[in-house]
Amino acid sequence: MGRFFINCDEAKILSTREQYGDLNPKEAFRHKLHLGHCIGCRSFHKNNERFQRKLKGLKWVALSDTQKDSIKKRIAESMKK
Amino acid sequence: MPEVKLIPEKWVDRYGDYLFNFTISRVNDPIMAQDLVSETFLAGLKSAHRFKGNSTERTWLISILKRKIIDYYRKINSNKGKAEVRMSYLSNSDQEGDWMEEKAQDLRNPNVEDTIEQEELGKALEECIACLPERYATIFVQKTIDNLETDTICKEHDITASNLWVIIHRARVQLMECMNKKWHKDN
Repeated sequence: MGRFFINCDEAKILSTREQYGDLNPKEAFRHKLHLGHCIGCRSFHKNNERFQRKLKGLKWVALSDTQKDSIKKRIAESMKK
Repeated sequence: MPEVKLIPEKWVDRYGDYLFNFTISRVNDPIMAQDLVSETFLAGLKSAHRFKGNSTERTWLISILKRKIIDYYRKINSNKGKAEVRMSYLSNSDQEGDWMEEKAQDLRNPNVEDTIEQEELGKALEECIACLPERYATIFVQKTIDNLETDTICKEHDITASNLWVIIHRARVQLMECMNKKWHKDN
């Protein structure tokens, strides 16, 4: 049987992983259990969630594959010279 | 400190999206942003022999890009540039005179304030990302912005998944602190 209790460093990493939906049910349970008795990690988790919401709200744009290919082509041509 | 070497073949994949975001929030024109990013890489290639390795590749490319953006604004503020802008509006004769309405933001619209806040937040975040160590910034951007799979990032950087999460966690903590400082300083 794995450990139920984790320390604050582990809890903070789990909090971060949770923002990316990376926790399995066991890890999520351990994390919740820790938050239940640790005020510091609870506060960190809240801030982490708030930060994640802000990040999600931002409009990130990415270069399309075609745009990337065209830039790569220009770089390759320039490197040949 | 290990010597930093330039790897132009990987520039587009590593820094393309980051530079594109950086540019688009400053020039508001996707086509121009792509051109500026492309020109930045070419300028980097041309002046590669002058790169001393004192800064990271990304910091160096950002400094080139910043100069390109300044040049772009200089150009559009010059008389020739202004004429070009006027011409582009006058070319649509049907819509002549509509441009002020089209360009002016309606501040009564609550979405405008949101948009402005988003833009400011985006710029602040980019500046904070620029302050992160190279590796942290690259991995954070790949996971958070590019939404790459954990395995893919781990393979590229030759790290374990636990290492990756520690790096992302540290990057986020530094970013949160940096954003808090910026937010309180600006407001």
